[in-house]
Amino acid sequence: MLEVKDATIAVGERILAEGLSFIAKDGELTCITGSEGSGKTTLLRTLMGFLPVRNGFVSVDGELLTILSAHAFRTMMVYLPQQMQMLAHQLTPPELSVCEADDYAVWNALLPSAVKAQQPSPLTPEAIYRLAEKTLSEAGDKQIVIADEPAALLTPELSERMLQLLVSQADAGKTVLIASRRPQFIEQANQVISL
Amino acid sequence: MNTGMILHTILGLLLLAIPAGALYVFDKPQLRSLGVAVGRMAVQLLVVCLMVWLLVKYNTAWLNLLWLVLLAVISGVFALRRMKLPLAQFLLPVSAGLFVGPLLVGLYLLFVVLPVKEGMDARWFVPLTALLVGHSMTMCIRGLSAYQSALKADEQQYEFLRGNGTNHLHAVLPFIRRAILAIVSPTIANLSVMGLFTMPLLLCGILLGGVTPINAFVLTLLLVVGCLASSLIALVVILWLSDRQLFDKFGKLK
Repeated sequence: MLEVKDATIAVGERILAEGLSFIAKDGELTCITGSEGSGKTTLLRTLMGFLPVRNGFVSVDGELLTILSAHAFRTMMVYLPQQMQMLAHQLTPPELSVCEADDYAVWNALLPSAVKAQQPSPLTPEAIYRLAEKTLSEAGDKQIVIADEPAALLTPELSERMLQLLVSQADAGKTVLIASRRPQFIEQANQVISL
Repeated sequence: MNTGMILHTILGLLLLAIPAGALYVFDKPQLRSLGVAVGRMAVQLLVVCLMVWLLVKYNTAWLNLLWLVLLAVISGVFALRRMKLPLAQFLLPVSAGLFVGPLLVGLYLLFVVLPVKEGMDARWFVPLTALLVGHSMTMCIRGLSAYQSALKADEQQYEFLRGNGTNHLHAVLPFIRRAILAIVSPTIANLSVMGLFTMPLLLCGILLGGVTPINAFVLTLLLVVGCLASSLIALVVILWLSDRQLFDKFGKLK
């Protein structure tokens, strides 16, 4: 069970939510919704301890979430971020460029150029779904599932499968928190929090 | 420097007449560039040699260590400029890495491997650590920039790992791997092309110093291996000390 009590969520000086209170219960799917830029992702990141709560508190099973305890809480969480398409290296390790033997000799006084890593190629919708499925199946008995816009980059068919995947996690007794504006996700949720 | 040596230096510099003559015939404007380049190189060499001369003359361990600190800081400045990273944030970690790596490997080579009678003798300590710092600097440019740019390009992967309960050290391991490979790969590439007929400059230098070919072979081998070890130690120290500059207290990439 994850509880948010009188929390103020902010990014810098900009306050996104004030006096926010809700309880995400075990075995339920809680959907955080709101317009673009309303703070859905920021709220999820705050619940994971990546950002501080300005006022109020966040607790997991009655234990207060702080900077120091955040990592311990995250070991109980499964996280599917919004930018899942950028996680190609979770499926395949990056290929490193082959070096030419010219600039970097021991006896050479020339300084090499700084290395510029390239962003990975975006994953296809099928690969995104596969990664989500793999992450959830590898999570074992982690009690909290957090998914940020889980259907944002999926086809309608895969969105439906993703929804069923998340519902099945809730059915298994887990606390499932998602951020989404998709009507089908909102309809299936046991609780909807609007920002 | 006696009169005879000055005369010989002038005679040696007469060899410049060959490239200068070629440029005079084919590309006159480049003559000036050649003159400036040779002049600058001569001044730089002279300054370095005067410093080494002073170190050899006084020959104290503390002065040698102070010189190594100075060399590490100057190399750190050059490396950071090359990587376009802020000096205020990264000079301490980079300089510390470039000091610790070469010092540890240098002392190991001097006191344990070779071993030299007076390990801290400036005649041995100065050129050996200079070589190690120089190599570590070039490799750390590749290592740190590979690490930092991979973290930026692949920030989502780091956050994904952290969000799924991986601790900070394990979440940066894929990026450390890329940094280490960025150092090791060029070394492998260079070692693979060491030719039989084009001798490495390092080997030539050792031979010119009067060392026998077999000893020069051993020394070159030890120095190449030492350079690789030193650059890896330096990289680990740099990455460890840079962590606070790269991540905030929530573990987010700055």
